[in-house]
Amino acid sequence: MNNPGMTEVLFSLILVAIAIAISRFWKINVEKDIAIGSVRSFVQLVAVGYALNFIFDLESVWLILVTLLVMALVGAQAASSRVTKIKSPFVLILFSILFGSFVTIGIMAFLNIITFEARYIIPLGGMIIGNSMNASALSMNRITSDISSNRLTVETALSLGKSWRESSALYFRDAVTTGMISILNSMKTVGLVALPGAMTGMILAGADPLDAVLLQIIVMYMILMAVAVTSVVVVELTVRQLFTVHHQLK
Amino acid sequence: MGSPSLVVSHVSKIVDDKKILEDISYTFYPKNIYTILGPSGSGKSSLLRLLNRLDESSSGEIIFDGQTIDSYVVCELRKKIGYLFQTPYLFEKTVKDNFLFADNTVSNSQMLELLAQVHLSQKMLESSVEKLSVGEKQRVAFARMLLTKPKILLLDEPTSALDPSITEAFEQFIQKITIKENLTTIIVTHSPEQAMRFDQTGILIADGKIAESSDIKSLLENPQSDAGKRYKARELS
Repeated sequence: MNNPGMTEVLFSLILVAIAIAISRFWKINVEKDIAIGSVRSFVQLVAVGYALNFIFDLESVWLILVTLLVMALVGAQAASSRVTKIKSPFVLILFSILFGSFVTIGIMAFLNIITFEARYIIPLGGMIIGNSMNASALSMNRITSDISSNRLTVETALSLGKSWRESSALYFRDAVTTGMISILNSMKTVGLVALPGAMTGMILAGADPLDAVLLQIIVMYMILMAVAVTSVVVVELTVRQLFTVHHQLK
Repeated sequence: MGSPSLVVSHVSKIVDDKKILEDISYTFYPKNIYTILGPSGSGKSSLLRLLNRLDESSSGEIIFDGQTIDSYVVCELRKKIGYLFQTPYLFEKTVKDNFLFADNTVSNSQMLELLAQVHLSQKMLESSVEKLSVGEKQRVAFARMLLTKPKILLLDEPTSALDPSITEAFEQFIQKITIKENLTTIIVTHSPEQAMRFDQTGILIADGKIAESSDIKSLLENPQSDAGKRYKARELS
C-alpha cells in the first residue's frame, strides 16, 4: 500500500456517501450526523497532522508537556461532561488523568522503554489519556451511583464504628474494576478478534509484523497501568467528596 | 438517678432552610428506656441520627458520658452509641460474618449466646443471611450492634418487622439488657401500645420540637400540650 495522499482521501469519501445512502434508504435519519462527523473528523485530524509536524520539528520538552497537558484538559472536560452525580468533577478527573499518565510515561522513559521524543511521547500519551479519560468517567459514575443507591449499607457500617474507607470498600473495588474492565477485556481477546490500532498502523506502514506486535504489547501494558492508576486515584478522590471529615455520608 | 448518660442541649437541625429539629433539650439517664413518639416526619429519626453523629446538628450541644460528642473519635463514639435502623441491613454472607464484621475478636460461644438472647436458633450462626426473614434479620442486626458494646441504644422502630409473638419477647429482652448492662435505650416507635408496654418515659415530638415528655401513661392518657391532645385524638399520625 502506498502512503495515501489527498486523492485517496477524496476517493474514500465514497464510503461516507454509501453510509449516508444507507441511512436515507432505511430512514435511520443520521445523514446529518454522518456528514458533520465526517467533516469534523477530517478537519480535526488534518489540523492535528500539521500540529504534530510542527511539534516534532521543534523537539522541545516543554512543547511535549504542554501538548500532553492540553490533551489531558480536553480529555478531562469530555469525561466530566459524562458525570452527572457529583459537583465539579473536572478537577478530580484532570488530576487523576495527569497522575496516571505522567507516572506511566515517567516509568517508561526512566526504564528506557521509550525515548523522550515528541514522535513517541505524544502518540503514546494520546492513547494513555484517551483510555484514562474513559476509565475515569466510568469509575466516577459507578462509585457515586453505588454509594447513593446503597446509603443504608454504608450507614449500617458507619453506625458500627467503621470508617468511611471501610464502609465504602466494597464499592471502591467495584468502581475501580469498572474503569479497568475495557482494557482487561481487550487484553483477553487482543489479536484473536481484532488487531489493535497501533499494531495495525505499523503493519500498514510497512513494519515487520513481529516488531508491530512487540510495540503493541508495550502499548497494552502501558494503557493497563495508566488506567489502573487513574481509576484508583479518581475513585479515591471521589469517595472523599461523598463523605464529611466526620465519616458522615453527604 | 445518678449521672446522666446523654445530655441534649438546645439542638437544632436545619436542612435547606427547613427546620427539621428546633431547640431540642433533654437529659437521658442509664437503666432507662425512653420511647419517642410522634407523627411521621416530625423529626424522631433525625434526632436519633444526630445522637451518634450520623448527621451533624446545626446548633446546640450533645454531651455523652460527660464529654461533648465532638470530642470523641467519631468511629469510637458510634461503637458506644449503637444505632439500629428501621430496615435491617445484613452484610454478605452468613450471620457469623456479620458478627465478625462488628467485632473480629468475638468467640463462637459468645456469638451463640447472643443468638439465644435475641431468641434465634443457634444453628442460625452459619446460615446465609439471604435465607432469613425480615424479623430474623432485625434480631441479628440488633445482636450485631451489641457486639460493639454500646452504652446507649438508639432503636428506630426495632419491632416493626416482627410478628406479635416475637415482639413482646424482644421487648422484654430490651428491658432486661438495659438494666443488666446499665444502658440508656432510646426507642422511636409508632406504636403507643408498645410505649405503654415499656412503661417508662415518653417523649412526644411534633413539628421538630419536643411537645411534651413525662411518664408514658400520663403522656398518652392525660396529655398537657396541644400536640399531645391531638396525638391522643389520633389527629396527628
